[in-house]
Amino acid sequence: MATALSRQRVVERSGARTSYRFGSPLRKSQRVAGYLFVLPTFALFLAFVLWPILYTAYLSLTSWGGFGSPRFVHFDNYSRMLHDPIARRALIVTLVLTGVTTAILTFLGLVTAVLVNVVWSKVGVVVRTILFIPGIVSFVVSAVLWKLIYDPNIGTLNRLLGAIGLDSLQHPWLADHKTVLPAIVVVTVWGGLGFNMLIYFAGLQSIDPNLYEAAAMDGANTVQQFRHITVPSLRIVTGLIVSLGLLNGFKAFDIIFVMTGGGPNHASEVLGTYLYSLAFGSTSGSIPQLGYASAFSVVTMVLCTLAVIAQLWLTRRADR
Amino acid sequence: MRSKWLGKSFATFVLLPFCLLMAFPFVWMLLTSLREQNTIFNGPIIPRKFTGVAYKDAWTSIDFPLHFWNSVWITSVTVIGVLIFATLSGYAFAKLDFPFRNTLFVLLLTTLMMPSTALIIPLYLELKSLGLLDSQAGLLVLYISGSAPFAMFLMRAFFQTLPDELIEAARVDGGSELTIFRRVILPLTRPGIATVVIFQFLSTWNEFLIANTVLRNTDALPLQPVLFTLMGQYSTNWPALTAGLTLSVVPVVIVYVRMQRQFVAGMMLGAVKN
Repeated sequence: MATALSRQRVVERSGARTSYRFGSPLRKSQRVAGYLFVLPTFALFLAFVLWPILYTAYLSLTSWGGFGSPRFVHFDNYSRMLHDPIARRALIVTLVLTGVTTAILTFLGLVTAVLVNVVWSKVGVVVRTILFIPGIVSFVVSAVLWKLIYDPNIGTLNRLLGAIGLDSLQHPWLADHKTVLPAIVVVTVWGGLGFNMLIYFAGLQSIDPNLYEAAAMDGANTVQQFRHITVPSLRIVTGLIVSLGLLNGFKAFDIIFVMTGGGPNHASEVLGTYLYSLAFGSTSGSIPQLGYASAFSVVTMVLCTLAVIAQLWLTRRADR
Repeated sequence: MRSKWLGKSFATFVLLPFCLLMAFPFVWMLLTSLREQNTIFNGPIIPRKFTGVAYKDAWTSIDFPLHFWNSVWITSVTVIGVLIFATLSGYAFAKLDFPFRNTLFVLLLTTLMMPSTALIIPLYLELKSLGLLDSQAGLLVLYISGSAPFAMFLMRAFFQTLPDELIEAARVDGGSELTIFRRVILPLTRPGIATVVIFQFLSTWNEFLIANTVLRNTDALPLQPVLFTLMGQYSTNWPALTAGLTLSVVPVVIVYVRMQRQFVAGMMLGAVKN
């Protein structure tokens, strides 16, 4: 969250820094200290972030079951991906879920933040707390909880529908390929809304109230004020929220893994769950397909990088 | 004035039902955990009789204390480890001048958003070849290395707000860089440290994918993977299952409520610095 914004500032400023000057003893002690202070983090980063990234890229070009040594197969894994119906489905579901949840979360986050900003501050505090709590429990807890709520036989959702006489709407929510994705969207939105609302709320608080007064003087009504002051002022926040939404969507795993395991019949399979089952095959006890699974890791990494670039681009344009 | 009051009332009128909807799963979780096992199939939605028996079930049958302390231990070590790495490097990137500083920084930056979903295969293989698979030590290494760059980033933003003159003055007084860092700088960045602690606590306590993958030894497991297996074992004993969920959520809610102000302030500082 914080990073995306400061990242952009760094990118803008990195060229403007005065270049390093060799010289005085003071500087020398700084130089030594600088390296010593950075070294531990950097060593960890090289060993457990950078190396894994490169290693995954290499593995994705091989065929490997985990024993012996990987066999180099060029881009076979990637062409296999194109012909694998489950892979295609997983990619589409990932993109669709990401797009839909990001859109809903951005919109609802803004709407709730605006409302919280309007109400009496005591009410606002209560509302903010209630909306935020779903976001601080783990995805595992959310997923288990909602799995029970969606349960076809004794799930609360169906029982409530029955209680108000809407028996016809009762449904095996997670077992039907038509309703499983909306069900997942609901859980994701439920968990992510508080965070977005809070960031938007902070953004609203930082808008200069004089702007609204000036606009009101010029005869702008509430809707116009919202369109021409609130929305443009929040562009950076929106860029941040959209890109974080994309990132979270592309790396989705926990909720789906726990709630549906990618089922029914791969209907809710996403990149993360599919690569996991290929590599750590919980299902068939088959040989792990580490090479093929790594190709999905690479696709995930590319998507996440695109999300970061999108964020830089969105906020870049906002500066103009 | 009157229109203002109308607006406030309208917003409240919209928000309150929405909040009830959002809070419903937790309310339901608590109610379910307090009811008797035999009433979940046909009893009323709001039970007539409350009992704590499910908590006893969850507590003993999954050895809750063991996994709870695993979680506490793993989270504490991770938070402290991340803090040490992140404050040192964050300070260096913010205030110390050394060759290739920006190059190193940009390198750290580019991979900041790489999710564990994408890296789980090489990380697993790496732990395997280091002989750290199935040990909490291996998990800690992955947690700390995975989070340190991001925390470094946050800390750097905090350190940048400190005036250079302060550090220069301390240098003139002849403190070594480490002394300056410890005695002068760290005490001034309590808010930043608090922010990192809260974020790190939440993300480590709630982490599931890596813990579930690299730990097979059940005694070493933290809470999240245990809750997942509990779901399989207790698929029909909902009171015990929801009791387990509730117990795992309690520390998170306590920490959040106690540090809420700090948390929100940290988010604001991070998100809306401009």
